[in-house]
Amino acid sequence: MSAQEKYQSLLELANQNGTTYELSEGDNGTLVVTGTAPSAEAKQALWDEYNRIDPDFKSGDLILNISTGDAAGGGGNTYTVESGDNLTKIGNKYGIPWKSIWDANRDILKDPDKIYPGQELKIPI
Amino acid sequence: MMKAKLLTFIVIAAALFLSACGKSDADLTKAVNDKLAADKVTGVTASVKDGVATLSGEVADVTVKTKAEASAKSVDGIKSVDVNGLKLKPLPTATPAAPDPALTGKITESLKKAGCTGASVAVANGKVTVTGEVPAAKYAECIQTIQQSGITGIDNQLKKAAK
Repeated sequence: MSAQEKYQSLLELANQNGTTYELSEGDNGTLVVTGTAPSAEAKQALWDEYNRIDPDFKSGDLILNISTGDAAGGGGNTYTVESGDNLTKIGNKYGIPWKSIWDANRDILKDPDKIYPGQELKIPI
Repeated sequence: MMKAKLLTFIVIAAALFLSACGKSDADLTKAVNDKLAADKVTGVTASVKDGVATLSGEVADVTVKTKAEASAKSVDGIKSVDVNGLKLKPLPTATPAAPDPALTGKITESLKKAGCTGASVAVANGKVTVTGEVPAAKYAECIQTIQQSGITGIDNQLKKAAK
């Protein structure tokens, strides 16, 4: 049985509750569902159905990447500075040069050597 | 006189024959295709022979296939529907949203923000391996956070912590 058939009821549910989606194929036949749900409830309904078909999401044959229309995943890619951090160290966490973080945050940073715990930095990835 | 009788007989016979037979295959073919169009099933064409509708074409996903079958079956005069000629469109290959180190950093930070401390991830070619242990109440949210980061595969070894 293909992943599409296995998760057919989930896709039917998406069609019914107004979620738009696109399918693609990931690692080793993994079904990747990327889409937008009209509400948090609609999205939760899809996750409940996912959990019903594949308890605790253990099979690894589905990636459900559904966002809700309003917020784009909770504010995009940001990093919250911790004590002891510097831009180089943060860059290393993402495999990007410190300078690209500096460039993306010139509006809130005055000096690349001065960052403070709790600051929200934009991460350009 | 004889001629008129014969003509009447022929007309009646023809009428009986047609009503017994129901709609012709051509009529049914049109009816099924119209129904598919009305139900917004695209990429599927139908042809009907002896009341059996044979569907062919390429559909976007398995839900469209099921819908096409149900649409065709709902047409009056259709006895059965053959969907063996309906193919699923091959899916495009998923591409990771970012290079592996960037995904690792992004997921690690999102997990931290979601309160999923105890989970750790390693990313290789867009596929995530997640290990560790999180509180049972947090488990689903942690998996959601990971799956919404633009990855293309997952090996889920995350455990729920015993209370």
